[in-house]
Amino acid sequence: MQLNRRDFLRLSGGGLGTLLTSGVFLPKRGVKEVLRPAKADIAMLYDSSKCVGCRACQMACKRWNGLPPESTEKEALYENPRGLSEKTWTLIKLRTAQGEKGLFHKYQCWHCTDAACVTVCPTGALYKHEMGFTAFDAERCNGCGYCVQFCPFGVPHLQVESLLTGAAKATKCTFCQDRVTVGQRPACVEACPTGALLWGQRGELIAEAKERLATLQGEGFAKANLYGEKQAGGLHALSILLDDPEAYGLPTTVPTPSLAHIWQEVIQPLGGLALGATILGVIGAFLVARRNIRMEEVK
Amino acid sequence: MTVRIRGTSEAITIQWIPKYTLLERTLHWLYAATFVPLVLTGLILYAPFLGPLARGGAGEFVRLIHRGAAVIFGFLPIVYLIIQPRRLLLNLREFIFDKEDIGWLKGAFGYYVLGKHTDMPPQGRFNTGEKLNGVVMILAWVTFGVTGLVMWFGKGTVPPALFSCMVIFHDLAMIASVCMFLVHLFLAVAHPLMWAALVSMRFGLTSADYAAEHHAKWYYGPKRAMEIYKAEKKEASEASRLGH
Repeated sequence: MQLNRRDFLRLSGGGLGTLLTSGVFLPKRGVKEVLRPAKADIAMLYDSSKCVGCRACQMACKRWNGLPPESTEKEALYENPRGLSEKTWTLIKLRTAQGEKGLFHKYQCWHCTDAACVTVCPTGALYKHEMGFTAFDAERCNGCGYCVQFCPFGVPHLQVESLLTGAAKATKCTFCQDRVTVGQRPACVEACPTGALLWGQRGELIAEAKERLATLQGEGFAKANLYGEKQAGGLHALSILLDDPEAYGLPTTVPTPSLAHIWQEVIQPLGGLALGATILGVIGAFLVARRNIRMEEVK
Repeated sequence: MTVRIRGTSEAITIQWIPKYTLLERTLHWLYAATFVPLVLTGLILYAPFLGPLARGGAGEFVRLIHRGAAVIFGFLPIVYLIIQPRRLLLNLREFIFDKEDIGWLKGAFGYYVLGKHTDMPPQGRFNTGEKLNGVVMILAWVTFGVTGLVMWFGKGTVPPALFSCMVIFHDLAMIASVCMFLVHLFLAVAHPLMWAALVSMRFGLTSADYAAEHHAKWYYGPKRAMEIYKAEKKEASEASRLGH
């Protein structure tokens, strides 16, 4: 029996349906869309040369966001606690190169433009706010922890409620989204007594940073640089560093979250295509087979 | 056993032969009963359009079901290995591919979809399609196990790049096994030629006529099955040469 026109139409109808089905598996963001921060995005500029390591920012963050204290290590003299956690969203790190002055750095979520956490978040709990920063909606978070795993800086942490059930919530700096969206400055910026933290439009802050860099370089800080102008599509927490980023434990080039993009933008649509093709192929095959196979001949 | 055809006085006699043990059937259905919720709950995290179901408390519940079902799913083949290791080995050996599988693949579309009575090469206890299903499911089980355990217990301790790879491989295993599952479901439940498949997985028995037609190498033994196949082929080519 030949494949007649009706059968052909049924099977090719399946193919068309497949393409439509695969569309629903496409990520919300287009595959080829180039991510670029807008000049008007809000941003934070941290100036390492002005920071005295008082950690008022750290305290203000805890107070505003209602974060509990955490136990510390005895040997940790300055970096205390040692790293970010679900209870500490920002902290001052102290890097000491041999025989040189210590380098302070404020560690926190950098609010990447090409944010891996947003790419992989299945619930939309992490999203890019129209003001440019990476916002978080705790109501939507289901605690899957993909953000923790995919962030190239290891910033988000899970507040685990039960190891057994996996109940958890992601946590990270949100630029004090409840303050900045109503026109206030983040708590840490508000608390900084030395002017090491600036808040404003990203474009203006970059211009300001470049002026400060010229001054610093004139004062003998030859390696002074602006961190975050280009990294990860452009960070929204920028830093003036006095030495190479590596001296601060920061990567000069942040690896693009290629695995996250492969996952979300290649595997998911392809999976949708494969599943859709199979479903419709099977339905088509059933409709054709039902007519062609005579049960009287079946053993 | 005599079966009366509905609405007529005709009757056919079916001779039954055993195919699956009670344990095999129980494990098969438990495997299906955990696989389906695993796919449904997994898809909620996987497909962006199901995102709303993954949010907040609902999402936590979905993840809990996924883990609970995964534990049972992971243990079922191990139960088989412990209780009936010889049967497991016997069945695994049946998954080895041979040259008759190529002939089966060539003829499968015509045979199963267009209803052409082409002479399909004789098959063993499992036909090529069943072998493909079995092999994909075994590989998927291993992949799900390894990647799932890393994702569950390695969170925060394994390097992020490794974790990301685990997520991707988990997804790939899902895509392959779900496609296979859909075809398997169609053939076993809805396809007219495969009526005996569902019966054998339910009652452990298959029809002797069905076995002779679909699993000749198992029913007659490989040597005899090939002899019959070649003789039938010769007969058919002579008949067509004589213009019958």
